[in-house]
Amino acid sequence: EEFITDTGEHIDITDWECKFCEFEEGFSGEVELGAGYVSDDSYKFGEYTGLNEEGAFPVGNASIRYRDDIDADYLNLSLRDAGLDSRSLRIEGGRQGTYDAFLFYQEIPHFLSDTAMTPYQGNGSENLSLPAAWVAAGSTAGMTALNASLRDVDLEVERKRFGVGLRFIPTAPWKYEVAVRRDTREGKMGTSGAFFFRGMNLVEPIDYETDQVDVSAAYRGKDWQATLHYYGSFFSNDNDSLIWQNAFAPIVPGATFGQRAQAPDNQFHQLQATAAYEITDATRLSGDIAVGRMTQDEDFLPATTNPNLNAGVLPANSLDGEVDTLTANLKVHSRPTDRLRVKGAWGYSDRDNNTPQNAYTWVSTDAFVNAPRTNLPYSFTRQEFKLDADYRIDNFTRLGAGFEHENIERTYLEAEETDEDTIWGELKVRARQNMDMTVKIARAERDVSDYQPVAEIDPDQNPLLRKYNMADRTRHSVRVIANASPSQRATVGVSFDFSTDEYTDSTVGLTDARDAAVSIDAGVQLTEDTSLHAFAGFERIRSRQSGSSIFAAPDWEARNDDTVNTAGIGARHTLIEDKLDIGADYILMRATGEISVDGSDFPDLENDRDTIKLYANYRLKETMSLHLAYWYEDYDVQNWSVDQVNPDTLPGVLTFGEENESYDVNVVTLSVRYKF
Amino acid sequence: QPAATSAKAPLAGKYTEKGADTCIKCHDEDADYPVFDIFKTKHGTRGDKRSPFAGLQCEACHGPGVAGAEAMQETLDRGGHVGRVRPGQERPPILNFGSKSDEPVELQNSMCLSCHETGDHISWKGSVHEDADIACAKCHTIHTVADRVLERETQPEVCLDCHKTQRIEFQKPSHHPVRTGQMACSECHAPHGSAADRSLIKPTLNETCYSCHAEKRGPFLWEHAPVTENCSLCHAPHGSIHAPLLEKRTGWLCQQCHSQAGHPSVELSPAGLPGGSPSPFLLGDSCLNCHIQVHGSNHPSGVKLMR
Repeated sequence: EEFITDTGEHIDITDWECKFCEFEEGFSGEVELGAGYVSDDSYKFGEYTGLNEEGAFPVGNASIRYRDDIDADYLNLSLRDAGLDSRSLRIEGGRQGTYDAFLFYQEIPHFLSDTAMTPYQGNGSENLSLPAAWVAAGSTAGMTALNASLRDVDLEVERKRFGVGLRFIPTAPWKYEVAVRRDTREGKMGTSGAFFFRGMNLVEPIDYETDQVDVSAAYRGKDWQATLHYYGSFFSNDNDSLIWQNAFAPIVPGATFGQRAQAPDNQFHQLQATAAYEITDATRLSGDIAVGRMTQDEDFLPATTNPNLNAGVLPANSLDGEVDTLTANLKVHSRPTDRLRVKGAWGYSDRDNNTPQNAYTWVSTDAFVNAPRTNLPYSFTRQEFKLDADYRIDNFTRLGAGFEHENIERTYLEAEETDEDTIWGELKVRARQNMDMTVKIARAERDVSDYQPVAEIDPDQNPLLRKYNMADRTRHSVRVIANASPSQRATVGVSFDFSTDEYTDSTVGLTDARDAAVSIDAGVQLTEDTSLHAFAGFERIRSRQSGSSIFAAPDWEARNDDTVNTAGIGARHTLIEDKLDIGADYILMRATGEISVDGSDFPDLENDRDTIKLYANYRLKETMSLHLAYWYEDYDVQNWSVDQVNPDTLPGVLTFGEENESYDVNVVTLSVRYKF
Repeated sequence: QPAATSAKAPLAGKYTEKGADTCIKCHDEDADYPVFDIFKTKHGTRGDKRSPFAGLQCEACHGPGVAGAEAMQETLDRGGHVGRVRPGQERPPILNFGSKSDEPVELQNSMCLSCHETGDHISWKGSVHEDADIACAKCHTIHTVADRVLERETQPEVCLDCHKTQRIEFQKPSHHPVRTGQMACSECHAPHGSAADRSLIKPTLNETCYSCHAEKRGPFLWEHAPVTENCSLCHAPHGSIHAPLLEKRTGWLCQQCHSQAGHPSVELSPAGLPGGSPSPFLLGDSCLNCHIQVHGSNHPSGVKLMR
């Protein structure tokens, strides 16, 4: 018996019996069943996991495999957190190398707030009304029925995701895939509505459905590969609008109800082709083109629901919105010598908004009719050129450098064109296999051709303002990454990121920003039975901005300073060989936000979290083990955005009066794991 | 008859007489580095003609094994140590993979790419990870039932091992559900390279975000320009202390770009907190108390993003 390689080599494999190989046949896997208990209610603690409620919950996990080594039939099943609102299931199977099919289901909850209060009725529907006894007033202080009307409302959105897919490999170089996925999101979110200068927090019903389709064909030739891919995304919203009763006394007759639009149904279709070709052994050309279209044609709502106002006839019944997208990339990279790598790339990305423009007579907050405004369909074109090279000086040192140019053109915006040039240099040093270090420094200069406030925007923007995405900017950045393995049993890694942005021509707006992050981590296998790991990280994000309350030169300056410190330490230990494993982790997070305006400091925004996780795994027999886990988390928040803000604290805004998200939660789980 | 012709044989040397049996008579489940779990994976399936075990078995990936096997035997005959390779000790002459390998990364990866350079891996060459000389085996483990980097819950541990700044960011109070295991890094990023910046899975950043947040795609009648240009102008995708994933608190975030006379460019000061004269520009939802439709409005009267 012979095996012929791609290079034509004949290899005699007559005696390759594989008699020691333990090919797998039939079913195998692991199932975990048990119960857990959560000590306290906390939406923030269970934000995405579903461990948000005090009480018991079932523990259920499974990984089940079936394999037939000769026919190549297989099945993988993975069930996670079956007893929680974050459960997921994935099943995949087929005949390996011929076809596969997969199915998945996942729930991702998002528990947003369990401290909101509202006087509104009908929460979760498109119509919010106030109780019959409601007393509307000019300010929240005059809403005498407020306290008696307040009810708790839980804000949460649950995403459910279901998908199926098929993959065919009819002949070796081809691969076809079809996949569809449906995401539904249902629940309630916080939002707000306003009548002129009076606002109220409201509950927005969420009932979204997004279907996504992927169809692709991939081909792999000897020295080229190509993929053709269709992507379709179809979004539909069961709710068109939100209608709410004005909690304040109407500023004009009829301004007793407001109506706002909800996200409209929309579609996106995209065809993408990707190809790569090895021109020579050392040079590869690759490219990608994606052509897409976004459409939206939901029926318009009326300009107002106020029967006393006449805004005339709408210029159209719906938007007929259409945006064409085109993204293209071309890349050449080459290794002309063993030591040199060279890369050149061109990228193009266009968002061409063909939505019709019309003049809309608009009604300000269902209260005042205004002169018509014309919609501004924004278009963007971005082009990018990159050239870089990297040279290996010796076995331990590599030096790289690159140049990038980015040009962005915009319509209906302050800067029609911005250009940014970036140069960077990089040094990589590797000392044997157990230490490496990379240092990269970069400097970027963004230049704005001509910045003019947009004439169509009313009222005018301060001409001294520079919006930061269209402002002259000088950016410096440094990155250092180092890793070392002082021995086979120990590793240590350090990373350092630093960047500064200076907005050189911005008198009003963001003027400068500085980010710094330092991290270190280490792991050590102390003995065969014991390992330790630890990490620490520090990040600081600072910025300054200037504003003018008098539409002239700046008369205030704000400074933002966010700091995050995080650290963790953990250990794994085998207490009794083949019997008892234990582990512990502690993670600390301290995040502080300091804001000061003209030297007056806001109270610090504080987020302090301590997490302790412990586990013990006791093996009862070869196939069965007991798993005990404990999780403690303490989270203390100080947040002036909500602290001491009751529903009537603001005279002009009726708020939810939420509390901050501090919690103190213990979770214990006990489960049996069965292996087969 | 040839069994298969799928694998390249880029390495010089002699193949063993007995294939895998040569290797796994020692690399059994009691070895320092057990390899038997490969038979629970796609690589250990004889029925798939593309699989290593349908062809050159261990040597399909590790290359011709005679030199390695002979070196091991000589060491054993000398009574030497053949387990875990100690610091300073020379590795046996067989291609091995991962961060502790002495082999050039490009050579290691060429073994994997000889079968896998297709589909999602088409952009590997020239990708950020290739440029950084990352070995496939730095992230992937082959002789194991469940490769950590392919599982949603464990993948972030692998990625954040190198992407340490992101590890800090995911610890912040407002975050995507990555730290809690409901979302993988690869739901946004293509680790094997893509045409997009930051190796995103879709051609643009916004299209990547819309794959989960399609309600923000529009197009809307009244667009908010930075939203259509780049979601990350306002949002920090890996985490923030300002919910929901905002670069800074709402008032100041908006004031970076909006400076009309008086409203909204008033100076926000601590005097506007409870106890002073509570300010609607500061508390509740700040600017969003009124201008709630920050992602765009399709209402005929939504030009100020209030309807």
